[in-house]
Parts: sequence; structure tokens; C-alpha cells
Amino acid sequence: MSAHAAADPPQAPAEAVAEFLRRMRVGIEGGLDPVTAANRAADELPQRLAHVVQLLSRRVRGEYHEDEWGFDEEFAEAVYPLFEFLYEVWWRVEAEGVLNVPAHGRALLVSNHAGALFPFDASMILLSIMKRHPLPRWARFLVLDWAFLLPFLSAFMRRVGGVPASKHNAARLLEQDELVMVFPEGAKGTGKQFSERYRLQRFGRGGFVEIALRTGAPIVPVAVVGSEEIYPKLGDATPLARAVGAPFVPLTPTFPWLGPLGLVPLPSKWRIEFCEPIDVSEHGPDAAEDRRLLFDLSEQVRETIQAKLYENLVKRRAAFVTPL
Amino acid sequence: MAGRRVVIVGVASHWGAELARRLERDPGIEYLGGIDLEPPPADLERTDYVEADIRSPLLSRLLPGMEPDTIVHCGILWYPESGRPARVLHDVNVIGTLQLLAACERTPTLERLVVRGSAAIYGCEGATPSFFTEGMARTLPLRTRFQRDVSELEAYIDNFARRHPGLACCTLRYQPEIGPDLDTPIVRYLELPVVPVQLGWDPRLQFLHSDDANGALEAATRSSVRGPVNVAPSGAISLSHILRLARRPALPIPHQLFGMALERLGRRLGAGPLYGDGVRMLRFGRGVDNERLVTDVGYRPRFDAEEAIRDFAAKSTGRRIGPSLHPGDLVGRFSGAVR
Repeated sequence: MSAHAAADPPQAPAEAVAEFLRRMRVGIEGGLDPVTAANRAADELPQRLAHVVQLLSRRVRGEYHEDEWGFDEEFAEAVYPLFEFLYEVWWRVEAEGVLNVPAHGRALLVSNHAGALFPFDASMILLSIMKRHPLPRWARFLVLDWAFLLPFLSAFMRRVGGVPASKHNAARLLEQDELVMVFPEGAKGTGKQFSERYRLQRFGRGGFVEIALRTGAPIVPVAVVGSEEIYPKLGDATPLARAVGAPFVPLTPTFPWLGPLGLVPLPSKWRIEFCEPIDVSEHGPDAAEDRRLLFDLSEQVRETIQAKLYENLVKRRAAFVTPL
Repeated sequence: MAGRRVVIVGVASHWGAELARRLERDPGIEYLGGIDLEPPPADLERTDYVEADIRSPLLSRLLPGMEPDTIVHCGILWYPESGRPARVLHDVNVIGTLQLLAACERTPTLERLVVRGSAAIYGCEGATPSFFTEGMARTLPLRTRFQRDVSELEAYIDNFARRHPGLACCTLRYQPEIGPDLDTPIVRYLELPVVPVQLGWDPRLQFLHSDDANGALEAATRSSVRGPVNVAPSGAISLSHILRLARRPALPIPHQLFGMALERLGRRLGAGPLYGDGVRMLRFGRGVDNERLVTDVGYRPRFDAEEAIRDFAAKSTGRRIGPSLHPGDLVGRFSGAVR
């Protein structure tokens, strides 16, 4: 897809491209055919741009790897700088306890979910692991089904590691020893009112525990503070949500009043804490049938995250202004 | 395998004829019969061809006389073929299968039934398991005509298998096959000089290499696996990646207009529309898990999803009109100078 190719190497300096085009024009005006002119112009390019051209040409010929889920590491690296900006500058994310994420092998990251319009929490957890972990690795995340019914967004999410939320997908990923992120609150978490912020909603039916038990993957609870303030949800546009089939359409102080500007998230201060992993392998895979154990473990994870949320809210202090 | 008697229903089809060719070489097969409306290709030497319509009750009188112990049903149509226009697809697929099962009931020598079905039974949805396993059929709404047909005929086969526990029935759920020598709507679609795609969508797909399609059918005929088995390459590949590897420029069209545009463009260039769930598949994609094929049937596809496309791209002569329009071919020339 053309949007894909264009997003690839944004680091190319625009002046160099202009210079290339200028040389090419001079060549064509001098009587060369376009291909030879381009070859001549390319000869004089600086090394960095030459590298970019090579990458682009390789991409456009399809010489890259995608895994069976559609995750495209080169693409993820290409959009990485944008999320890095959000991480470092916009939300000033502080991550704690990243070492609780296993450096290899399967693990299930379980986190609270917030951010009414676009939940950015998955991307920020992913970036904390990539930036702060001594052995960085890409995490996969389960995405609400509805997002996979949207054009562009579905294709984008898949390329950066999203998969449709399904028990089968989570189990298969864990069996492949991947790092999987789940948000058991789902749309209930992202769709709650601003006044309800940092109050964990019901954790589904405990399906994530079932998958962890079945695959023997440790559960790492993750508490994310800051994500609730990026789009404070004040109301619901229920008729609109019904019309487009969305789980909800939020009304925030800026959306939809300011049009596309309303999509800009507010620059709150974020803290992410990774808690001690909970090893569930002692129960064995058959314990996945045990409803009571599922609910117990689910509740234990939920309480851990809730306690850490309160703790980090105090540590973070003001949501928007960082006191000196 | 000694002294086996095999009958191929739909022997004139591409897949039925290829299976007959492979089984003819096996001396362990005592008798090889073929049933179809049209005669099979001339290069079949010892296949006993019987002209019969799968939809007619005559089948029940013919089949027992051939005394088969194995029947392979290759007569399910995914798209119209010569002599079988679109309006008879349902008749051939559903009524034909019913007649065949009725005939099987009257064939006491029968031990094995293999049906060459389709993975279209899972449908194509935006948010589903990325890899369907055999137990996940019919958990989603049946949306297309072909999907309903496949689901209905599988229900008949399940029922039949339950009533005849001594008979090893197996349904193969095939993902669409591709190969340079195939003439199917999806292959013609991929050979268009400019390939229309749906704006904003990039489905994950699995196309089965035609060698693997033949190999899996032969392996399933020889095995005694019961129940449904997915036949698909390992892995998956997105449509954008396929088009880049095949050097075809994509033409994004809003998905509401896609079916119509493809029909128009197809008629112009001789590709024709996509049948069955083709349009939905090119929007949402579909992946199936092939573990049962590897472990139970014992056939490991030689080409994974990407290799099948690479092989197709390398061998496909294509019906390309004019020079290659793909930027990869142009950029390739420049990058030689930069290196």
C-alpha cells in the first residue's frame, strides 16, 4: 500500500531529495534519458540518503519479512520515532520495575486500560520495554475486535504487533514464547467517565488467567498512571456510537468541538510500573477448568494493579504541571 | 495399500485429473475409476471413465457396481467452470453431494470417503482468531452463498459419518490454490496489470501452492484420518506484500465500490469477477491452522505462504499489458547505481 511505503524512512533530509531531483532535471535537460539521469544523480548522493533509497527499493520489491500475524518489524521501527516523541516529550513517561518483564520466553502482561479515543497505553508499555529493558523485545497486544473492522487502523495495528482479541490468538502467541499484553477491562475501561478514573472495572470473565494457566505463562501486572487524563471523557454521543456501530463515542473537552485538533491527546504526566510476576505454572494446565481459581487469581491481579495505581498517583503528584 | 479400488468423482476437474495421474503410477491400486460429466484429459491411461451426472440418482446404481473401497469427491465447485454456469453451483455442490452420499450408503465395499471441500466455511471476518482450527467452523454467521453451501454439505457429511462409524470420512478444507498453470478467478486477479485493492485494508492471506494442493489430496486419500482437516500453507502473508513480490501495482478503491470495479476491470481484461467469498477475503483475509494436516495426515506443505507467492511470481508469465508499472522495477534500476 502506498501509505505504507511513504511512512518508511522519514529521516531522509528533504534538501537531499530536492538536490537529487534538481540534478536529475539538469541531466534530462542535458539530453539524458530519465533512467540514466537518475543513476547519475544518485551517484552524487550522500551515503545516508543512498541507504534510504536502498531500503525503500528493497521494501517496494517486497524483500522484507512479516511474521504469520502480520507483524512487520521494519515498519514498527519506522513509526517508532513518533511514539518515542510521545513517550519522552509529550507524556514524560517514567517506567519502574521493567526488569520484572522476562527477557525471554512467554509472559502475559496485564494492565489497566484507559484513553477514551485512542488508548495509547499499549504503545507506551511497549516503548518502556524497548527503551528501558536491558534486553528489549517487541510485545504483542490484543486489540478490541471493533478496531479490526476499521480500514487503515486495522492494517496499522497489525503491522506494529496488534492481534484481534481472542483467546485462541493469545494462547497461540504465548505458545510461540511471545510477550503478550492484555487489557481485561476492555471497552469498559476506556469508556468510563473521567470522574471514574483509575477505578478498575470488572476484569471480564477472567479469560486471561485461563490462558496463562493453560500455557504456563507468568502474569506480570502493569499499572499505568497518566493514560486517564489524555482524553478526559465527559459524556457520550450515544446516537453517533449506534450509527457507526462503535462501543462508544466519547465527548471530551476538545473532541469533537475542535475537529481534528480534538484528537490531540492532552500532555499529562505518565508513570508505568511493572509488578512482580505471578507464577501460575504450579497449578498445571488442567487448573484452567477451575472457575474458582480463575476468579481468585483474577481478583489478586486486579487488586495488585489497583493498589499500584493509587501508589503511583501519589508519586506522580500533579497530572499536568510538574512541580519544580 | 495392496489391491485398492479408488473412484474419483469429478475426475475431469483440474484436481481430480491430477490425483488420477498420481494414483495411476501406483501399482498398489488395482482399479481406478472416474466419474464426471465430461471426459477426463486424454493422458489418463488406466482410469475407467464413467460418464454420469453427480446430481442424478443414477449414481446410486453405478457406484456399487464399481466396487470401490475409497471414494474421493473432487466435484465441489468454488466458481463456475466450463459446462457448469454459476446458477448450477448450488445444485452440484449440495444436491450432488447428497446424491453421492446416498450412493455411498448402497456401496458395501466402501471404507474411505475423502471430500475436497473449502476453508470458506470459516468465512472472513474482521476480528476472528487469526488461525482457525478445525473445531471453529460455524461459530460465525454464514454470510455468502458459497459459505452456506459448504456448511450445508459438511453437515450432511458429518451426519453420514455419524451413521456409519465403520467408514473413515474426511473433509479437506482448502484455502484458495495458486499456481502459474491454474485458471481460477483469484489467479487471474493476481495477474491483472494493475490490481484493485480495497482502500485502507490489507488482509492476511494464505494461498496454497498447487503442488501442495495435489500432494495433500493424495496423502489424505492414502491415510485414514477422520473429520475435517485444514489444508493451507504455514504462515500467512498480507496482500500488499503479495503484490510487491509479484510486482503488481495496487489500485486502491473504496471497499463499497470494489466488487463493481473489479467486475468492470475484469471484464475488460478477461479476469472476470471474484466468486464465493473472494471480495470479503480480500478485505478481511483468513488464516487457518494446518497442524492436523502435518501431524494426522502426515503431509507437510513444501511451500509456506510467502514461498508459494515467490514461486508463483517467478513462474507466472502473466497477462501483463504494456511495460511493468510497478515502482519496484523502476527503483531497482536506480539502486544499482547507488550501491
